[in-house]
Amino acid sequence: MEYLWGGIQGAAVLIIGLDSEVFRTVLLSLRISLTATLIASLVGIPLGFLISTHEFPLKRPTITFFNTLLSLPTVVVGLFLYSLLSRRGPLGPLSLLFTPTAMVIGQFILATPIIVALTIAAIQAMDPRAKITAMTLGAGPFRTALTVLSEARFALTAAVIAGFGRVIAEVGTAMMVGGNIRGYTRIMTTAIALETAKGEFAFALSLGFILLFVAFSINILFHYLQAKRG
Amino acid sequence: MTPLIELRDITKSYHGSTVLHIPRLVIKQGGIYGIMGPNGAGKTTLLSIAAFLLTPTSGTIYWEGADVDTMDKHQFRKKVTLIIQNPYLFHTTVEKNVAYGLKTRRIPPQERKEKVEESLRLVGLSGFDKRMAHELSGGEAQRVAIARALALEPQVLLLDEPTANVDRQGIEQLETILRQLNEKFKITIIVATHDINQAHRLSDEVIYLFDGKIAKSPMENLFKGRIVKKDKDLFLFDTGRIHVALPPQRDIVRHIAIPPEDIIVSHEPHATSARNSFAGTISHVADEGKFVSLTVDIGEKLRVKITKRSFQEMQLTLGAPVYVTFKSSSVETF
Repeated sequence: MEYLWGGIQGAAVLIIGLDSEVFRTVLLSLRISLTATLIASLVGIPLGFLISTHEFPLKRPTITFFNTLLSLPTVVVGLFLYSLLSRRGPLGPLSLLFTPTAMVIGQFILATPIIVALTIAAIQAMDPRAKITAMTLGAGPFRTALTVLSEARFALTAAVIAGFGRVIAEVGTAMMVGGNIRGYTRIMTTAIALETAKGEFAFALSLGFILLFVAFSINILFHYLQAKRG
Repeated sequence: MTPLIELRDITKSYHGSTVLHIPRLVIKQGGIYGIMGPNGAGKTTLLSIAAFLLTPTSGTIYWEGADVDTMDKHQFRKKVTLIIQNPYLFHTTVEKNVAYGLKTRRIPPQERKEKVEESLRLVGLSGFDKRMAHELSGGEAQRVAIARALALEPQVLLLDEPTANVDRQGIEQLETILRQLNEKFKITIIVATHDINQAHRLSDEVIYLFDGKIAKSPMENLFKGRIVKKDKDLFLFDTGRIHVALPPQRDIVRHIAIPPEDIIVSHEPHATSARNSFAGTISHVADEGKFVSLTVDIGEKLRVKITKRSFQEMQLTLGAPVYVTFKSSSVETF
C-alpha cells in the first residue's frame, strides 16, 4: 500500500513540476494521434457521406464491414502493418518501421472505420428536409452536400472525437510499429506499459493520470456534442 | 396567352402504383391557385413536380410553352421556389438562412445584405436577422422560410400547407403577406392546403385533388366504397349503406362524390331517365343566402343545394319525407 502512495506522490511531483520527460511524451502522443485523426477525418467523413447518400449494390455489407472494423484489435493492425513495413516486407524500402509516421499510419487505420461508421449514422439520422430545402433554394449537388454536412456538424464532430478517443488510448499498434524508442516514438500508453514493467511507478502513474484526464475530457465533449446533434 | 406552366398527362408512380395522374393543369402568370385535398391526395407530389424537384414518371411540363424536358432542370429550379411543409431552417441565424439561396446564385455580399433586409421587411420580421433560427415560433419560422424564398425573387412560389403549424393570428398574417406578394410583385402563387376555407379565401382558382386525380368540384357527398355490379351500360357502387348507379368505368373506383347542385328534390318519385332516386327525410336545413342547403338522410347523409325560391315553393320542412334524384353521369368517381 505504501509503495502505491509513494507512486502517487511521485506522480504529482512530476506533473506539477512539469517534468520534461513526461511532457515530451504527452506532446508526442497528442501530435501523433491528432495527425492520424485529422487524416482519418479527411478520408472518413467524405467516404461516410458518399456511402450513406448513394444507393449501390453491396451497400448494406459495406456498412456492416465498417461497423465490424470498429472492433479491429489494435495488435492485429500492428502485426499487419509491421509485416508490411519491416525490412523484408513490401514497404520495407521506405524505412518507416519504428518511426512516428508508422504510428500515424497505424492509428489512421484504427480511427478511419469509426469516423466512417459514425458519419454514416450521422447522415442517415439527418432531417431529410435539410437536403430538400437546399435544393429548393437552388443549391447544386456539391453545395447541397456541404449544407447537409454543415447541418450534421455536431454529430460529425462527435465522430471525429470518437476516432481520436480510440487512438489516443491504444497501445498495441504504437508498440509494434513504433517500437517505444525513448524521445522518438515513446508515447503515453507505451511508456506506461514499459515503466510499469520496470517498476517506475511514479513516472507511469503521472502519465496514467494525464491520459485519464485526456480520455475523460474527450468523453465529456463527445456526450455534449451527441446531446446537441438534434 | 401562353400559360406560365402547363402540365400534360403527368403521372407519378412508386413501385407500380400511381400516386398522381394529372391529364392537364394550367397555371397562368400572376394567379393564386389553391390545391385542395385531404392528406395523401398527392398535393406534395404535385408541388414537388411543379418545383422540378421530382421527375414525373410520364408526361410533359411546359414552361411558357416550351418543353422543360429538353432544357436544364437546374435552370428552372431557380425560377420556382417551393416552401415545404414545416419548413426546415438551417441551424444558424435568420440572416444566413435568408441569404442561403442568394449565395448559391453568387450574389455579392452588399446586394445580398440588402435583399435579406428587404425580404425580412416584406414578411414583417425586420430586425430578426441576428436571431437564431431555432428560437423562432412556428409562425415566425414559416415567415423566415417565405423570406428565404422571396429573396430569390422567384416567378412562382409554391407553398405546401403553409399554415399547418401556425396559430390563428399567424394564419391571417401569412395570408395577407401572400396576397401582397401576388399584387405587388405579380408572383404566381400555388398553395396546397387541406383547409377549404383557406383555399377559397386566397385563390383565384381552386384545384381539387383527390387520390392523385383532379376533381371537378369540392368533395361533397363523398363516399368510400366499391363497385359491386358491372353491367354493360351501368355500374353499381356500394357505399355500405346505399347503392349508387354510375356509368361504366375504366379505372378502379374507390370513392364517389355527388355535387349538391346536381341533386333534384321532389315530393314524389321523379319520373326521369336519372338512374339514382332515393327516398329520405330532411335532417338539416341551412340558409345560404340565395340558396338553401339541405341534408337529406337516405341511409347516407346527402347534402343538397336548392334555390331559396324552390325551397319555399315546395314548403320543405325539417323531418319532411322527400325524394332525391340525380343522374348517374353527374357522379364523380376516383
